[in-house]
Parts: sequence; C-alpha cells; structure tokens
Amino acid sequence: MINVKVKCFSQVKYALGVDVLTFEVDENTTSIDLEKIIRERAGEKLNDVSLRIAINQKYQKEEIALQDGDEVVFIPPVQGG
Amino acid sequence: MIITPEVLNEQKNDFTIIDIRSNEERQNFPLLGLDTILSSFDQNIDVAGKKVLICQFGIVTEGMIIEKKINNAFSLLGGAQAWAEYYNENEDLSRWARQTVLPEIGIEGQKKLLNSHVSIIGMGGLGCPVAQSLVIAGIGKLKLIDNDIVSISNLHRQPLYSFEDVNKKKILAAKSKLKILNPEVIIETDDTFFDDINGEELLFKTDVIIDATDNIKSRQKIDKISKKLKIPTVYGALFRFEGQVSILNVNGSPGYSDLFPSSNTNREDSCADAGVLSMLTAIIGNIQALEAIKLIVGINNNLIGKLLMYDGMNHKTEVIEL
Repeated sequence: MINVKVKCFSQVKYALGVDVLTFEVDENTTSIDLEKIIRERAGEKLNDVSLRIAINQKYQKEEIALQDGDEVVFIPPVQGG
Repeated sequence: MIITPEVLNEQKNDFTIIDIRSNEERQNFPLLGLDTILSSFDQNIDVAGKKVLICQFGIVTEGMIIEKKINNAFSLLGGAQAWAEYYNENEDLSRWARQTVLPEIGIEGQKKLLNSHVSIIGMGGLGCPVAQSLVIAGIGKLKLIDNDIVSISNLHRQPLYSFEDVNKKKILAAKSKLKILNPEVIIETDDTFFDDINGEELLFKTDVIIDATDNIKSRQKIDKISKKLKIPTVYGALFRFEGQVSILNVNGSPGYSDLFPSSNTNREDSCADAGVLSMLTAIIGNIQALEAIKLIVGINNNLIGKLLMYDGMNHKTEVIEL
C-alpha cells in the first residue's frame, strides 16, 4: 500500500468539503484510478466537471502510476471573471 | 516637498541645487545641465532660500528633508536617474520613480511599458483591477473590449463603476475613470462581443491579451486567436474564494486548450451563480496585471508554462508546471 495526498481546490474542494485528503491505495494505483475514487466520494457533485491532474506540482497529460508520498492536485476549469 | 525634473528645469535658477550622492554615483550619473553644490546625507544643509536636494532615486532626500526638518527644501522626484532621462531624452518619467527604482524595472523597463499595447477582453470583476493597475503603471495603450452595460449588481466588485454609471456602457465608463488616473494613456474601446470572426481584427497589433472573461467558450475563442496571432494571453479565472492565473501561448508554450482539452463545468460555477467577493477579483486581477508587466518588461520569473491556483480562504497557493 502507498499513501498519497490530495490537495483540493475549487469544485473538488466544495464537492469533498475538505482542503486536503490522504488516501492509502494499492501500489499499482494510477492517476485515473484516483480520479475515480475522488468522483465516487464526491457523489454527483463532480459529474459535469472535467478534471485535469497534477502530481508533485507537474501537470500530467497521460495516466501515470502513483508513488508513495505523491501530492496530487485535481484541476477543474473555472470560468468566473 | 517634491519637485519633478520638468519643473526643476523650468525653475532651476530659483533654487540652490544640492547633490548629496556619493562620488561614485556622481561620476557614473553626472547631473548634466545643473549647477550643483555638493553635500552628503550626514552633513547639515545650512543653505538659505529655496533648495532642491538630489539623491540617486529621490527616496533618500525625501526622508532626509522630513527627518532633518530642512526648510524650503524640495526632493527631486526620481532623483538623478529621472533627471538623466529628462535631460537626455526630454522625457519626464519621474511619476514612476517608485517603480523605476526597482532594478528589475528601471528606466528601460518603464519605456517598454510606455510603448506597450495591451488588450483587455471583459471589463468586469477581473478587467477593472487589471485595467486600473496597468494604467497607473504606465502602460502606453490599452484596448477595452466588452459589450456589456453597468448594472447595480456589478458595483460591489467592479471599482471603475459607480451608481451614476448604471446602464452606461462599461467600456465608456471605464475609459473616463482610467483617463483620470493617467491622462496620458491612450485608450481604445470596442463594444462588440469578442468572437471568432472579429477577434483577429480586434487584437491586431496587441502585445499582450488579458483574458478577463467570465465563461469558458470565450476563453476558448481567445486561446484560438492568441495561438494563431502568436500573442501571449494572461489568463485569469475565478471560483468563489479561489482563482487561477497563467501566461499562455508564449513562443509555443501551453495554451488554454492544452491546459483544459475538455473543459466542462457546472453552469452554477459562474460568478453570478456561485458568488464572488471583490477582494478575490482584485487579487486575481492584480496578479494578471503583475504578470503582464513582467512579460512586457522581460522579467523571466513569471507564469509562462505554469498555472497558479490561489485559495483566498486558507491562502494556499499551488504553482503547477504545465
């Protein structure tokens, strides 16, 4: 098992109701797997929201295997101005 | 009291001019065209009558006059640096002395700002603080693009508008306020809705685009034209207590469509539905203005290829490498 920290911003923060979450997940867990976990926990609140992902402050275009201690940020598009 | 280089030049025979700088500064930046007597910060100034004190940037002498209670004394705004620019180029840049003293800006940076052309798309919550900050920083030419009118619900977060502006075109109300802040700025206005068809013409000859819109479709259109015309966009967006800022499309760096290839979100995420505080629009708008200034002046520590995420509730920031 590995531990990953999710820092929550914008719609993700409001959907989950917290700033930071720590997950213990299987060693072969990927970024897409973690997104599924997040969406499941958020219920319907993120259904219409596209999410991009950054791991350790680096934007990830492709699915990537998570490592122990990774810091993950899900990036939703925000539109207000 | 303060005197500008232009006024000093007109009235220099009425003053005793006292140079308090070091010998090294005097050698490197001689006060051409002025008859001076030499002194220093440590010495008492016992000259009778009206006098102008000059240091390198106009900061030391301002403090010195107050601290030593020197009568009939003026500090030269911008100091020897501003005088040199005025004498050599006949250009009085002293009003920006507090920013030209920054080594990262300097006189050369200020000249770049004065010669720059920035277009702001959207004169709402973000557009107002961006325009305000760019105009007072000395941007030479600003184009304001928005087809909206001022409504009462705008006033709490759009400080360029007041009650008397309700139902007026935003771009015209903004222009009149901005011209008060800096009468020398050139302001163009266009009250059309920015789209794929008029976008190229609207942004022709712009150095920097400010995306201060409030919806994803407009952001996508701006990105498309920014990429095509190879004009950088300073992107800013808000969600409740949070905001995002990035500089997009600089020499092939990521754009909005690279950041958000699919950008679905809830309709309820707009400012009108989700709510917004003026402090957040001011913070994010001013970060956009700051990044625009850095881009124009050529300060490399900036948000090109990076996304700043800011949470005003807990003041956490995340800078993500794109």
